Amino acid sequence: MSGVDSRLRKSRTVMRLWDWSVPPHGVHREVLSSVPQGWDDEPRATRTPPLLFIHGLAHGAWCFAEHWLSAAAQKGFPAYAVSLRGHGGSGGSQHRRRTLMRHYVHDVMQTITELPQPPVLVGHSMGAIIAQLVADRYSPRALVLLAPAPLQGAGVTMAALARKRPLAAVKVVAGGTLPMGSGQLFTGLEEATAEKYVSRLVPESPWVQYELLRRRRIGPVRAPVMVAGTKADRLVRVADVERTAAAYGVEPVWLTRVDGSPLGHDVMLDDGQDRALDAVLEFVSARAM
Amino acid sequence: MTISPDSWAVIGAGPHGLSALKALLERGIPAHGFERDTDLGGNWNYHAENSRVYESTHLISPKPFTQFPDFPMPDSYPDYPSHWQVHEYFSSYARHFGLMENLSFNSEVVRCEPIGADAESGWDVTVRDRETGSEQTHRFAGVVVANGHNWWPKMPEYPGQETFTGEIRHSAQYKGADVLRGKRVLVVGAGNTGCDIAVESAQNAKSTVHSTRRGYYYNPKYAFGRPSDQTADLLLALRLPLALRRVLFKTTLRLTVGDFTKFGLPKPDHEFFETHPIINQQLVYYVGHGDIAPKPDIDHFDGDTVHFTDGTSAEVDLVVFATGYLAHFPFLDDAWLNPEGDHPVLARQIFTPTFDTLVVSGLIQPDSGQWTIAHWQGMLIAAYADALRHDPEAAHRFYDRMIAEVDQRFTGGADYKDSTRHYYEIAHQEYLRTLENDLSSLESVPA
Repeated sequence: MSGVDSRLRKSRTVMRLWDWSVPPHGVHREVLSSVPQGWDDEPRATRTPPLLFIHGLAHGAWCFAEHWLSAAAQKGFPAYAVSLRGHGGSGGSQHRRRTLMRHYVHDVMQTITELPQPPVLVGHSMGAIIAQLVADRYSPRALVLLAPAPLQGAGVTMAALARKRPLAAVKVVAGGTLPMGSGQLFTGLEEATAEKYVSRLVPESPWVQYELLRRRRIGPVRAPVMVAGTKADRLVRVADVERTAAAYGVEPVWLTRVDGSPLGHDVMLDDGQDRALDAVLEFVSARAM
Repeated sequence: MTISPDSWAVIGAGPHGLSALKALLERGIPAHGFERDTDLGGNWNYHAENSRVYESTHLISPKPFTQFPDFPMPDSYPDYPSHWQVHEYFSSYARHFGLMENLSFNSEVVRCEPIGADAESGWDVTVRDRETGSEQTHRFAGVVVANGHNWWPKMPEYPGQETFTGEIRHSAQYKGADVLRGKRVLVVGAGNTGCDIAVESAQNAKSTVHSTRRGYYYNPKYAFGRPSDQTADLLLALRLPLALRRVLFKTTLRLTVGDFTKFGLPKPDHEFFETHPIINQQLVYYVGHGDIAPKPDIDHFDGDTVHFTDGTSAEVDLVVFATGYLAHFPFLDDAWLNPEGDHPVLARQIFTPTFDTLVVSGLIQPDSGQWTIAHWQGMLIAAYADALRHDPEAAHRFYDRMIAEVDQRFTGGADYKDSTRHYYEIAHQEYLRTLENDLSSLESVPA
C-alpha cells in the first residue's frame, strides 16, 4: 500500500494476557436494531451486510436510534447499535469507575457474535477507537470511522481544553467526565433539541478517558476502511482525522450539509445527519457488497 | 459440486477444521471442508460415531483462553461450559462466518494423492459419500489435515487379559454413567478422561478401583475463587520463571488440596508441568471418602481378578481403559507425517517436511485451552496459503525456515514424561509467541 502512515501500524496481536487471566465479566447489554423486512430470508452471499454502530464518550445506542437505525433499514441495511456498559440501557454503571476500554471491546464482541454475519463496524468518536480495537481481533465486513478519536492520543485535545477552560481540564484529570456542551457537539440544531440531547449524556469512566490519551497502533486490517470527519468539529481536529485516514492509506471524507456547511461532532444527530448517513451507506454499497 | 483447483481442502469440521476453513475464506482463498459425520463439531458432536465426549463432559479449561479470540463464547455461558454448549457454540461460529456453504457432510476423505513428486501440481482428494458409498475425486492446491487425534483408541495389553471374565471397554465407548451402575469397576489411566470416569464410577458403581502408572498432581478447577488456568495465565503474564511457578503451584496445591499421599495416592514422581495437567477437583474428594481405591499399574489379569504391581488384587466386573488415543491418518501415507514410525514429525506442529502444501492443524496438547491456538494455527496457515498464491518465493523461504526448525519443541522449559502424546505437548504461551512472530514475518512481506 502506498501513502500509509506506518508509524501508526503494528503487527498482529496474538498475546492477550489480561483478557485470558482477568477477563471482563458480562453485563446486561442494550442492543437497539432496525432490520428491513424479509432480509433474513435473502441469500447471505448477496444481501446487504448488517451495520453495527458504536457510540462515543458518554453517549448511548439512543444517539443512533434517533435517526439512523430506521433510515438505514429503510434503505435496505439491517442496523444495530449497542450501548456500551454504563451507557444507555445497558447495565454496569455501578462499575463505571472500574471500567476499561477492553470492557467496551468485550461488549462489542458479544454483540457481534449475536449477528447473523460479519457486520460493517461504524464507530463514532471514542467508538471509532473501539471499532479499531475490535478490528484488531475480528475481521469486519468494513470499518467506518466517524469523527474518530485520534489514534495518536487525545493529548492535543486535552491541551486545548487546558488553555481555554483550565478548571474543566483539572476536573477531567481528576476523573470527571469530559465536558461536552451543545456548542461542542452541534453546529445546526435548535437550542432546545441540542439541549435535549446533551441532557442524555452520562458520566464516562475516568480510566477510559485516560486511555484515550494513549497512542494506539493498528494491526493489519484487510477490510475496506472509510474515515470521515467534519471541519467544524470542536473535539476532533481536522489534522487528527487526516492522520487516522493516513494510517489506513485512505482519503478522509468531509461531511457537510447541502449548503456546504460542516456538521458538528455528533454527525448522527446534528442537522445534516441524513447526508452523513448517505455518505456511509454509499461507501458500504460501493466497497462492501 | 464444482471446486476450483486453486482451493484448499480442509479435512474435518471440528474446531481446528472450522477455524482453518474460516481463516482461509476470510483471506479470500477458496476452500472446502469435508466432514465424515452429518454435523460439525468433531469430538464435540456427541452423537457422532467418532466423538469421544460423554454425557457429563465439560471443558476443563475456562472460557477466556479456550474460546476463539474473534468469536467469544456468550456471556451467559459458565466458566466451564458443557459439551452441549460447546457444540452450540461451534454451530453459531459456523453460521456467523458462513462456513456451512463451504462444508460437505457425510463426506469421508479416503485418500489424498499428491500430483507430481512434490505435489507441485496439487492434490487429488478422494471423498466417499457415507450415504451412497460413491466416491468422487477433487483437485486441490493444498490440504489442511484437521481430523483430530482423540478418536483412535490406544489399547493396552496385559498378561492374562484375554482370560478376563468381566467386560473390557475403552473410554472411547464410554458415553455415560449408566454402564457403571451396580458394577465393580476398574478405571485404568489418570488422564482427564480417566479421572472423570473414576469420579462418575464413584458416584454410580458398586465399587471403584483406579489404576495409574504414577502419581500425579490433581489440580483444582478453581483456586482463589477463579478458574485456576486464569491464575496460571496471570503468573505467566507477569513472566515468572518456571521454577518459581512450580513452587507457587505446589504450595497452592498443598494449601488447598493437601498432601496427596495422605489420601493414599502415590507421590508424584515428576515435576509440575512435566505431564499433561489433570484438572479434577473431585477425584481426591472421592478417594478421601473411600469411594475410589487408588492402585498402581496392572500386573496381570486372572479370571475376574486383576492383580496390581504392588501385589494387591481386586475382583472387578468392568474394566474401562482410559488409556488415551493415537493420532491416525487413514487417508495419508504413514511415511508423510510419520517418517520415524512412532510420532508425527511436524514443524511448528503444522508444517510437514514432505510436502509444502500439506499442513496439519490441531495436533497439539496445550497446557491450557485449545481454540485460541486453533484460531492462530488457522491464521498462520491462511497467511501461508496466501503467500503461496501471491509471493511464492517468500512463501518458500518461510517454509524452508520452518522446516529447518523442525526439531523445536514448545514445552516452556519443562521436560515432558515419555508417553505417545508428549510429542504434542505445548506450553500455550510459548507456542503462541512463536506463531505471533511467524505471522508477522509472513505478513510483513513487502507488497
